[in-house]
Amino acid sequence: MKPPVPSKRHTPAVLAAKRLNRGAAMLATSVLLDSAVEHYRGAFHNPAMLAPIATSLAALAGSLHGHGDDKQQRHAKREAIFALTAATGLAGTGFHIYNAMKKPGGLSWQNLFYSGPVGAPAAILLSGLFGLLGERVRDADPGTTPKICGLNAGRVASLVTSIGLLGTSGEAGLLHFRGAFQNPAMLLPVTMPPAAAAMMANAACGDGRKNRWFSRLWLRMTAMLGIAGVGFHIYGVSRAMGGWRNWRQNAVDGPPIPAPPSFTGLALAGLAALALLRDHPED
Amino acid sequence: MSPEGLRATGGRAPDVFREGGWIPMRQYGLDEEVDFLIIGTGAGGGTLAGKLAEHGFSVVAMDAGPYFRPLEDFASDETEQGKLYWQDKRICTGENPLQMGGKNSGKAVGGSMVHFAMVSLRFRPEWFKSRSLLGYGADWPLDWREMWGYYRQAEQALSISGPVTYPWGPKRPRYPYRAHEINAAGKLLAKGAEALGIKWTETPLATVSAPRGEAPPCVYRGFCRFGCSTNAKQSTLNTWIPRAIKAGAEIRDLAMAGRIEVDAADRVTGVQFYRDGAWHFQKARNVVVAGYAVETPRLLLNSATQRHPQGLANSSGLVGKYLMSQSNQAVFGRMQEEVRWYKGPPSLTLTEHWNYEDKKDFFGGYCWMAQGPLPIEWAFIQTGARGLWGEALRQEMMQYNHQVGLKMVGETLPDARNSVTLADETDQYGLKIPRISFSWGENDKALIQHAIGQMTRSMEAIGAEDIFAQTEDANHLAGTARMGFTPQDSVVNADCRSWDIPNLWICDGSVFPTTGGVNPSLTIQAIALRTADRIKAMAQRGEL
Repeated sequence: MKPPVPSKRHTPAVLAAKRLNRGAAMLATSVLLDSAVEHYRGAFHNPAMLAPIATSLAALAGSLHGHGDDKQQRHAKREAIFALTAATGLAGTGFHIYNAMKKPGGLSWQNLFYSGPVGAPAAILLSGLFGLLGERVRDADPGTTPKICGLNAGRVASLVTSIGLLGTSGEAGLLHFRGAFQNPAMLLPVTMPPAAAAMMANAACGDGRKNRWFSRLWLRMTAMLGIAGVGFHIYGVSRAMGGWRNWRQNAVDGPPIPAPPSFTGLALAGLAALALLRDHPED
Repeated sequence: MSPEGLRATGGRAPDVFREGGWIPMRQYGLDEEVDFLIIGTGAGGGTLAGKLAEHGFSVVAMDAGPYFRPLEDFASDETEQGKLYWQDKRICTGENPLQMGGKNSGKAVGGSMVHFAMVSLRFRPEWFKSRSLLGYGADWPLDWREMWGYYRQAEQALSISGPVTYPWGPKRPRYPYRAHEINAAGKLLAKGAEALGIKWTETPLATVSAPRGEAPPCVYRGFCRFGCSTNAKQSTLNTWIPRAIKAGAEIRDLAMAGRIEVDAADRVTGVQFYRDGAWHFQKARNVVVAGYAVETPRLLLNSATQRHPQGLANSSGLVGKYLMSQSNQAVFGRMQEEVRWYKGPPSLTLTEHWNYEDKKDFFGGYCWMAQGPLPIEWAFIQTGARGLWGEALRQEMMQYNHQVGLKMVGETLPDARNSVTLADETDQYGLKIPRISFSWGENDKALIQHAIGQMTRSMEAIGAEDIFAQTEDANHLAGTARMGFTPQDSVVNADCRSWDIPNLWICDGSVFPTTGGVNPSLTIQAIALRTADRIKAMAQRGEL
């Protein structure tokens, strides 16, 4: 594969940051739409249920702003937005775990299936983290390898992607188990992303100079899986009572249509991480 | 639809998954001697029809009731849906006369499974040997380990949605579908059980929690016991009946069996039935009676001949004897917060604690389940159990959304006093109507008292107010044609084959020697599946 040629406008670091912004934007979009539908379903019972909508909207704006920004330096306001986004994701995860645990039965399948999904807020956390990573990468001195806490930023981004893919796959696995894997396609998000996660873990820890063409191919397929998932979920809604004629109920109660592109966002972030590694293979 | 309108005729039967839809159906002539003529299409007959047809036998299964398409025929109306019950004339006597209707009968293709509560539980293994192991009732000629396999088949056929692990009894495979989300009434059962220190779980239910074929996932409409209009409920009507027709069986709706004919060699030759305004005779090599614990003995008794003056298959004198009706008492109360117990299937959680705990001073066991009676049923409970009327009833009904309750399904011991016999009166077909005599025994009363006490404790533990008990209610039937080990101790053998007439079979809840403390439908289906396999094996050996 041809190495990317930084344009006159971009340094490699800015290009890498923009790629991370793309992944973060896709994650934020997924969370924005998914949390809007799911929290609407929950009638915004708790005002905090508005938080992911506000922060994912902000993260999306920040990511798009970053994507259009050619400056090779971090942007303080964007960074603050991403930090807030990540914190919201962390708090949301805590909230969802607490909500599941306080019901009769505590930590049980019933509560994991039907409470606010424990893994979902992590998607906005990941969006924030990729945004923050992008700012740090952008801020690296020209000609140096971007570092995070002294570690190669490409490796750090690979590791975050790997963990994110595993977590998101776990979430899909839990909910598809709830659906008894009634359609064999429901197995795809519990098989393809974990394989991608293994490749990203290998990238995080392995040989920085290795040509990872297969990993890139696999990530692109994972990105497409996220888009295909939207189609599968649209079909899933049609199988509920009344199908799409009864969309006001079924689109809300059926399989979440905006959720699968989380995989696309993570795959895009993974591609950004691999590009960073390729541009800065030294440790 | 008009109740007099035949639908399964002219080479087609209703497609239950489509409004106005049809599926092709093979039909047999009256002179064609079919391998099996099955009377009744519920948990026993419907399941058996499907499995026997799939085994390659020619099958005609008839039901006295209509052939409904749930999507277009079922209303969200408790009164309208009374059309699903067997409400023909009966005489109910005894100290505790049974109320016949929705809880213990069905008159529709698919039988009472069309309106059953979908609770699909396995027997405790010891119940198959309750005389030898637990000291009461009678042993079954069946081995629980074999039944465990047939329970599994029945659970798969209906895609039961149940808990990931079941807390009682020997290990069982995972239910095909996951349990449903628990409603507020179900959570309050859980809270009460946790306060009492006993286990609870999600009830294994025959309504799908995810799409299955043409069945959409449950939308928690809550009319389960009045006919599911979405087909999420997996009943005989939308599982086994379509399978039977696909495998070449004929279903005859609105066909009332009046008499089984027997020849001089003591073999049945066919059945007289009333359909479309006239009596007909269908020839058959084998007849299976699957009319449940009232209609099955009634048909056998109504088919008496000079050679069989006590009725068919009745040399033991046990046809109609040992009628059982499970105890179905309840404890209700009111919460400060809204519960809205009508949402979703009524029995989303249960505890089988007292089915598996033997430290008690009576025989038998019981479970209890969360409740969600719809308004008319609730009004009946208020007028019946509490005697409320007028303004007091109106005020009480205003609290409907705050009510919560627990209802038991309790084991009743087989008691020779409880029986189905024939009265002299006749019904609209000119057939003698059944006289159903039922009284609770001392053990039954002790069990009910224990259950009411325990359920009351659970209700107190969740802070319910105005707690009251519904002390008189019964539901599922069993007995009246029990299976056993010898022609003297029973009507049929383990294969549901009558001892007296080798080509006469009985396959429904009436073959139960004991009734256990769980809803019977899954056990009836498991028995039907086993019977079909046994018939196939016997046919291969030329033993039919």
